[in-house]
Amino acid sequence: MKINSYRDWYWHILLLFAVVIQLWPLLFMLSTSFKTMDQIFLSTLNPLPAKPVIDNYLYVLKNLPLIQYIVNTLLIASSITLAKIITSILAGFAFVYYDFSHKEKLFNTLLLTFFIPITVVMMPNYLFISKLGLLNTPWGVILPQLADGMGIFLMRQSMRNIPKPLLEAGRLENASPWVILTRIILPLIKPSVIAMGIVFFINSWNDYFWPLLILHDKPTYTLPLALQMFISAEGGSEWGIAMAVAMLTALPPLLLYLTCQRFIMNTFMQSGVKG
Amino acid sequence: MNGIIFENVCKSYGETAVVKDLNMTIQEGERLILLGPSGCGKTTTLRMVAGLENITAGTLKMGGQVVNTVEPGARNIAMVFQNYALYPHMTIWENITFGLFIQKIPIEEIKARTEQALEILNLSGYEQRKPNELSGGQKQRVALCRSLVKQAPYFLLDEPLSNLDAQLRLQARTELVKIHNLYRPTFIYVTHDQVEAMTVGQRIAIMNQGALQQLDTPDVIYQHPANTFVASFIGSPPMNLLQGAFRDGALWIAGCRVNPPTKWHTLLAEHQELWIGIRPEQCCLSDAPMLHGQIEFVEHLGSQRCIHLRLHQDGQRLLCMLPADQPIPTGTMGVSFSWQHVNGFDGHVGQNIELPNRISHNYAC
Repeated sequence: MKINSYRDWYWHILLLFAVVIQLWPLLFMLSTSFKTMDQIFLSTLNPLPAKPVIDNYLYVLKNLPLIQYIVNTLLIASSITLAKIITSILAGFAFVYYDFSHKEKLFNTLLLTFFIPITVVMMPNYLFISKLGLLNTPWGVILPQLADGMGIFLMRQSMRNIPKPLLEAGRLENASPWVILTRIILPLIKPSVIAMGIVFFINSWNDYFWPLLILHDKPTYTLPLALQMFISAEGGSEWGIAMAVAMLTALPPLLLYLTCQRFIMNTFMQSGVKG
Repeated sequence: MNGIIFENVCKSYGETAVVKDLNMTIQEGERLILLGPSGCGKTTTLRMVAGLENITAGTLKMGGQVVNTVEPGARNIAMVFQNYALYPHMTIWENITFGLFIQKIPIEEIKARTEQALEILNLSGYEQRKPNELSGGQKQRVALCRSLVKQAPYFLLDEPLSNLDAQLRLQARTELVKIHNLYRPTFIYVTHDQVEAMTVGQRIAIMNQGALQQLDTPDVIYQHPANTFVASFIGSPPMNLLQGAFRDGALWIAGCRVNPPTKWHTLLAEHQELWIGIRPEQCCLSDAPMLHGQIEFVEHLGSQRCIHLRLHQDGQRLLCMLPADQPIPTGTMGVSFSWQHVNGFDGHVGQNIELPNRISHNYAC
């Protein structure tokens, strides 16, 4: 793209500044993971390690049940993603395809759930999971996250973009709602479903707070929880190792996002939601 | 048996009435055109037949059964949508056979029907293409093909030619009539194009503001419009509507005394104020003219010329179609017309004074 005017230059400088701010922690995490403790605690700001070492990574691979944590995280993130995709598609379809009383009110109520912070629902959810005896199990992490207001909103928006005559043509062919959903709608909104799934997966993969409340035993830990083992509130945190774990944790979702970036951007632009 | 009957059918969205008290019978195997300007309720009427719109009041019967609450899929209808509604992710073959597989028709029959339909509509060889690889005309033919293979007793078309260019429209109109003649389904065709209506329809139902204005054959509608709306809607250029008055045993138009035949006298006596409807092509130059006017503008239309006249006395406008090779005087012009082709409309309600009922229901299939 050509930059034509001074105004364009100002915008680009501003955007470049925003990119640097966004990327700085990532760069610092990467650099710290290759530093020795001495280099980390140098008083000067050194974004790049003077002598990169892979000791932190070797330590993590040797002393941490990394595979176990990856399996735990993958199980939880995949289950949550799958459940959220299914419920979002079905609810979105109901809002688009069926006419029922108080439809708009119900949908607006769902939208309201966007504005309820996790801290508000944390206690009732915790008590509920505790009563069900699901503390310290992956199910305790998964159960309260089976549906998502944002997902329902995104699916409804994507389905509304499908020309109505396509669905009506299906109805005239005597196609059941299930056939209309699976044979007509889903193939048309596949990119949106993929994008939504990626966002859900990344969020679940990185989720720290809720698993922290539910999972207490080390063998049940997810990757973000493994990170806390090297960070101590009383000092003596092993930043190099923690950053190596953080790097390994961030890598899969980062790769997933970079691969499927096109779908994600399209979906959010269609729905009018700014990412 | 497979006719469609509307009995006092109404459709409204909240307070807004879209279709008002519609009474109409469509015969089995008939080609009926729903014609009217945008927003007149013709598409809503078609969608009510398809079951895609609920009926607010009244009864809709199809094949002798009341279908007010019958699901669209159970009505056994084939429909062609304005934008064709082809599934973009499916191939042409999949688009055409989608409904047949749902109906669980044996695969051999699906193949036979589809191949036959593809051949009729010149689409053989396009089976594996996707809709976005086809031109507008081809998409329209695929949509027709999809409806054709269904062999449904009811065939509904919602402005199917509106996205085609003039050349393709001409071709498609002929194809539509051929398709209808193949197995004679009850055919309802929505359009706002009167040429399409006149050429495709066996009968035309003209609607305006949600109400049926006239239901009759194209000839009758053209020659004897039921009211001033139909008179001015049908025909290009439209029928001339001249204000007239019956006084002292004579008819006065634009200050000129004209002498109608005796059969008109009784009618005129009942309607002292009226509109006289004359088709532009029924007007001719005359040595003993009935009306005089100033030539304002001449349109050249190839084989004919359309003369725009402003009548003397009261300044009413009159259009007159003359053969292109006929010399046209300059300045003023005298015009005559044959009473055989004249329609009279009540000056207040606009109803044709010759037609006893506002809506005629002639059927000549």
